[in-house]
Amino acid sequence: MLAPGNYGVKLVTVAGFEADDTLEQDAQLVQQCLQGDGSAWEELVRRHTRRIFNICYRFTGNGTEAEDLSQDVFLRVYKTLGSYRSAHGGFATWMTSVTRNLLIDHYRRTKRDRITDSLEDAMPVVENKESVGRRPDQQLLLGELSHQVQTALTKLSPELREAVILRDLQQLEYNEIRQVLDVPEGTVKSRINRGRIELARILQQMGVRPS
Amino acid sequence: MTWTCELTEARLSDYLDGLLSPDERHAFDMHVNACEHCVPLVAGVSHLLTDLRSMEQIEPPPQLGTLILNQTIGPRETKKGWRAAFGWLNALASARFAYSAVSLVATVLILLTASGFSFRKAKLADLSPVNIYRTADRQAHRVYARSTKFVSDLRVVYEIQSRLNKDNELPTTPETTMPQSAPGKAPGSTDGTRPATPKQQNRANDIGRELELLATQVPMLGGALSGQLLGRRTP
Repeated sequence: MLAPGNYGVKLVTVAGFEADDTLEQDAQLVQQCLQGDGSAWEELVRRHTRRIFNICYRFTGNGTEAEDLSQDVFLRVYKTLGSYRSAHGGFATWMTSVTRNLLIDHYRRTKRDRITDSLEDAMPVVENKESVGRRPDQQLLLGELSHQVQTALTKLSPELREAVILRDLQQLEYNEIRQVLDVPEGTVKSRINRGRIELARILQQMGVRPS
Repeated sequence: MTWTCELTEARLSDYLDGLLSPDERHAFDMHVNACEHCVPLVAGVSHLLTDLRSMEQIEPPPQLGTLILNQTIGPRETKKGWRAAFGWLNALASARFAYSAVSLVATVLILLTASGFSFRKAKLADLSPVNIYRTADRQAHRVYARSTKFVSDLRVVYEIQSRLNKDNELPTTPETTMPQSAPGKAPGSTDGTRPATPKQQNRANDIGRELELLATQVPMLGGALSGQLLGRRTP
């Protein structure tokens, strides 16, 4: 049995992306963009491409879709840049909110395709459980573990998935997630909690963690 | 505090994020250590968090940034030939640069004029730093000498005027200072009725002597004053 208060979790202090200097620099770049400065837009793209691509990839689990969605995100941000108000929050939060809306739209649009795919994917999941039983040492390699977690993530409902991604992979604060999802902070905490529990159960079913 | 399995599940993230109060944390630990149902749940989620936070960020495809820029601000044209060589000149075609250039030219013109540079008889040698310095130095000394002379002249005129005003009986205006040489008048007489008293004649002689002295001290005024003095001293 585990000792009280020691469950192997490092209480990492997460910083989010709303550091003061980052906020100021982003706001300045946005102003320059609105004045027609192309190099400022290039700088914004350079600063946020990696983060947006990671959110898209973690949500979809597919590199090609993540690349296409990232382009859609920046295209929409570019077209609606004039509607951004720095008084309502940081640029990164606003951009993440745009990303989240596009991901939900994409999820709804491709729902029918995924139902067909999930029937085809049923067998490989079973094969994974057997393979884990045969070679547990190899399955616990970091790269493989990431792959398993990524696979489990895509099995979560979208509302729980986005909450877990923003909190545990993007390391945002609760108030930042509240702004992105546009829901009360209590709802954010509830979704993160349910998402983590559900994800742990999925991984157990996949045989990644022995019960 | 009584803790249940439902509470464990509901507050699990608060526990793992360190958001429980000490009492709640103690009750949580006591319950989980004694509950076979909650142990795998807590262990599974805590291991999951460790795994999630150890996952590294994925590098986006290298062409993604270019694709985004092409879709938003369009493909950036690559200039070739002489356009690439002189492309930096486009930055000069701005109102800010024109204003700065005009200000710079005006400043240079003012400085050259002040240093005595002649635009009509311009020589290349005049633009050498040594010549510019010498000309500017000469100009500065000339301006200083002129101003000193002007102030000195003003002082002399003021002194003459103040000395003339000392004598209350004598008029200060040129018309009245000139002697009236009417026929039948006696020398020194102003109304023609009585001859001038010796006292008045002596005072006029004193002023004349003072002006003569001033004329010797200031050669510039010497010519003008001496004429006046001669006219007054020969009634």
